[in-house]
Amino acid sequence: MSDKDTCTYKEGPLPSCAPLAVPMLAAQQRSEPAYESVDALTKGTLFPGLDLPFMDYVASGPVEASPLTELMALDFVCQELALYLDTHPGDAEAFKKWKSFKALAKEGRKRYVEICGPVTRGETAMFDSWVWPEDPWPWNGRKAGKK
Amino acid sequence: MFVYEKKLQYPVHIKNPNPAMAKYIISQYGGPDGELSASLRYLSQRYSMPYPELKAVLTDIGVEELGHLEIVGTVVHQLTRNMTVEQVEKQGFQDYFVDHTAGVYAQAAAGFPYSAATFQVKGDVIADLAEDMGADGTTWKGQHSHK
Repeated sequence: MSDKDTCTYKEGPLPSCAPLAVPMLAAQQRSEPAYESVDALTKGTLFPGLDLPFMDYVASGPVEASPLTELMALDFVCQELALYLDTHPGDAEAFKKWKSFKALAKEGRKRYVEICGPVTRGETAMFDSWVWPEDPWPWNGRKAGKK
Repeated sequence: MFVYEKKLQYPVHIKNPNPAMAKYIISQYGGPDGELSASLRYLSQRYSMPYPELKAVLTDIGVEELGHLEIVGTVVHQLTRNMTVEQVEKQGFQDYFVDHTAGVYAQAAAGFPYSAATFQVKGDVIADLAEDMGADGTTWKGQHSHK
């Protein structure tokens, strides 16, 4: 079959079936090197190859260490690895790494929930009463503030 | 289905009110290239995405953008929660304040309310990806223009 039979585009200077434009972004490489979890959270990416600070602004330092920031860092690494795995589902090493970080995050979450209360509503089942609505909510910051 | 996590993806602790800065930051909440735009863009485009890996990516980043929306909302809240009348007047916050006081409203820096007219969903992979690059490209350009 010639192009003429299959092509429904009008004739023009472009090859008859060519789309107007094809956007392209370089695909992320396999087995990228990775930052430590707290570094990743501070920099906003797990992958040095994707670390492109906005206007050369570099985050000033690691976030303050606490059960919450530890959990944030572990969850962030899990999220970054999950996004990587979405487009690299066959990378067995990355999958193994994701599973080990998932286990760490589960531990971190348990520690955090015991001290600070449920993260998901379902985790309220670990408590003796309906503590889900209790302050602080995430936007309240460290102290709920005087209202 | 979505399950809420009662924590931010990244910690926000702002000590001092700064409504002048809140006027800029609000655009990242409800402006044309803000987080609300980003999440609705990805979560809506995924229905016509034919490839499983990319259905996963659009879902996972669409959800993560909702987490970013919460971070930005928190920043605006903490920049405005204890502001004084004097700060509202001196920092040019009156026009926002008259309608929304210290509420967090989805609007652009110039004041127009959030609009889905700021993004596109075409039911076509190439068109949608080009749209995504246009939106995220504003960030990418900032990252690269100073390298």
